[in-house]
Amino acid sequence: MKKRCLILSLILASFILVTGCSSDSTDNATTDKHVEVIRLAGGTDWGSPNPFLNVGRGPGIGKTKLIFDSLLEADESGIIPWLATEWSVEGNVFTFKLKDGAAFHDGTPLTTADVAFTIDYYKAHPPVSNPISNNLIQSYEIVDPGTIKISVEKPLATTIAKLGSFQILPKHIWEKVADPATFNSPEAFIGSGPYKFSSYDAAAGSYEFIAYEDYNIAKPAADKIQFVPVSDALLAFENNEIDICDVPVDVLEKYEQDDSVGIITKDNDMGYRILINFEKIPAFNDLNLRAALYQGIDRQGIVDKVFRGSGAVGSAGYVPPTNIFFSDNVKTYDYNKEAALAAFKDKNIQVKIAVGNSGADVKIAELVKLNLEEIGIGVDMAAYDTQVRDDKVYSGDYEMAIVGNGGWGREPDYLRTIYSANSKNKAKSPASMGPIGWDNPDITQLAEDQLKEMDPEKRKEMFKALQDKISQEIPIIVLATQTTNVIYRPDYYDGWTKTYDYQQFEQNRLSYVEQ
Amino acid sequence: MKKPAFLFNQRITVLVAVLVILFIIFAYGSLIYPHSWFQPSGGSLEPPSVTHVLGTDDLGIDIFAQLSRGFFTSILIGLMAAAIAFMLGGVLGGLAGYFKGWVDESISFVINLFLAIPQLPIMIVMGAFFGPSIVNVVLIVALFSWAPIAKIVRAKMVERIDSNYIRLAKSYGGGFFYIVKTHLLPDILPVLSVNAIAVIGKAIVQEASLAFLGLSDPLSKSWGLMMNKAINFKGIYFMDAWIWWLLPPLFCLMGTILCIRLISREIENQLIND
Repeated sequence: MKKRCLILSLILASFILVTGCSSDSTDNATTDKHVEVIRLAGGTDWGSPNPFLNVGRGPGIGKTKLIFDSLLEADESGIIPWLATEWSVEGNVFTFKLKDGAAFHDGTPLTTADVAFTIDYYKAHPPVSNPISNNLIQSYEIVDPGTIKISVEKPLATTIAKLGSFQILPKHIWEKVADPATFNSPEAFIGSGPYKFSSYDAAAGSYEFIAYEDYNIAKPAADKIQFVPVSDALLAFENNEIDICDVPVDVLEKYEQDDSVGIITKDNDMGYRILINFEKIPAFNDLNLRAALYQGIDRQGIVDKVFRGSGAVGSAGYVPPTNIFFSDNVKTYDYNKEAALAAFKDKNIQVKIAVGNSGADVKIAELVKLNLEEIGIGVDMAAYDTQVRDDKVYSGDYEMAIVGNGGWGREPDYLRTIYSANSKNKAKSPASMGPIGWDNPDITQLAEDQLKEMDPEKRKEMFKALQDKISQEIPIIVLATQTTNVIYRPDYYDGWTKTYDYQQFEQNRLSYVEQ
Repeated sequence: MKKPAFLFNQRITVLVAVLVILFIIFAYGSLIYPHSWFQPSGGSLEPPSVTHVLGTDDLGIDIFAQLSRGFFTSILIGLMAAAIAFMLGGVLGGLAGYFKGWVDESISFVINLFLAIPQLPIMIVMGAFFGPSIVNVVLIVALFSWAPIAKIVRAKMVERIDSNYIRLAKSYGGGFFYIVKTHLLPDILPVLSVNAIAVIGKAIVQEASLAFLGLSDPLSKSWGLMMNKAINFKGIYFMDAWIWWLLPPLFCLMGTILCIRLISREIENQLIND
């Protein structure tokens, strides 16, 4: 009997050990697995990956973040320590303590002198994406090589996120650089981030980053990250040439039934809108005509045809309906061709619309052109390369422009940078593209005030009120937002991480380090 | 007046008949067929049916209507480019061969320059630089098509200009225009025409290439652009839609080019035999 019990106990112990081990190994495989290479679809030139030379859109900024670290980072729950292991706030002073042993890729230690230098350098030479713009930082004090105190005029709801996200430059390199726009020697790509710059081919749109072996904040999850030019991303994924790719809704079902494939959904995070330059088309100062313009565009048709049903008609308050800050009270404008036609009858309005020359931009332009011509607006669609179109918008060289970008699912402080007269059109970023020649003092006031509100619930209500007002004024025609799906192989790599307010996880630094 | 022998060539007749049939089919698609080539008339990616004979694209626009429009766009671009190349090649080649000396050297240098330049990369750069419009595409294609014509015309002129009858005509006081019109043009015109027909086919391919590479007007309709849009539709190879969206413009392009090239070759052979 004793012997039988012993055997049973041994079997049970072995079972527990085996299942325990297998459970652990599965966890390891899906969370902490280090891989040789992570390959993503390339093929588009997003600029050189440094703060001054990248293209000011998510994919360009995301690549730069792999090389250049910031004080803080964000995960799915909120802001987390990164280069700064601790931070505290006293009044309007933020104190950051840097991680011991942090160093740049060339081995030079990273100290608070580099942080201070970066603040000064960015004031003189604003980078493409500048979280500390508009003199956010009043002054700083270097307490010691590992501690810095940064003073702002007034702590706002977004201040800590902004102070935590600017990319830190190595002082010993950049103090000699007078013109960062022309500085592209190998030293221009030395940062302190988890990956080192390896190669970049603008013509092919290919990038390679290699792991920074001495990185001491987190272990890089791959030896290499490659952005590989592919002719068809889905075919390349099927052929195992890339490890992750967007999947169109038409073939999503095939992957939903495949256990070896993981799917991550980005809910209404990509959106398209028509910007109006009121200085060039003053007729649209008439609110009735703007409302008619809204009514004259079959936005559901855009969702159905261009997004293949995967998305939502644009909210007149801008924030998409799946965003937790969405207001249910926004005014809606249903498609009504006859009403729009009546409004534009005899107005003889001719517009030139700048549009990107690829992807969904062209298809949306095609449908919008048809809609506008049907309601009596003459349309000259001018298709440009995306960067040229963006530059035209930044410089105000357009009458109307169709623009798309990601990030609509995040906290809608973008309403301030798009609609507030004090904050719009200040940066070369899609989230700063606001209507030119239009201003509403109430909207500007509310958009700026939400930033000063530190109570999250009150701020949420302010965002909703702001959307309601915007939906009454409609200075921008919000066309539609798209829900996209991404497929990947969890057995190979499963470290993809969204932040608490940004769904484009391929652009997130955390997606490429072991957690 | 005696008709040129190639009009009686059976193979040419068949090839021209094929082109005429294509013309009639696409004229029906453009003029009588009930669906628009630019407006959605059905659901997204509808397969071929009685209503939409070749189905619809992602925006719900009828494929056959687009194909018909694309035929005339392609032919128009081809004819316009060929006409410019015909004029430019004929005039410059003629001048070089007639006047010789520094005129010939200068024009020959330019001809050789254009013959030596790799065409497609330059066309891509120019297409990107000048912007996507049909006029620009025509001009770019014509710019790279006149040189071979000019070279042939020049050679023909050089061969003829030293003939005794031309010398005689000159000695009797025959002027440039008289000699060209009376003695040279009848010889050169057939060669010029054959090469111009070849340019039509080449122009159609080059326009399709530029459109396929995204350097044509993205809001227009042409076969190259149709293929570009079909290929860039995410997941097209995992659906059936490529059969009715990608293949028709591909086969139409191949068929039309083949017909034009063969016609050009047959006429050329006929002229040599004559």
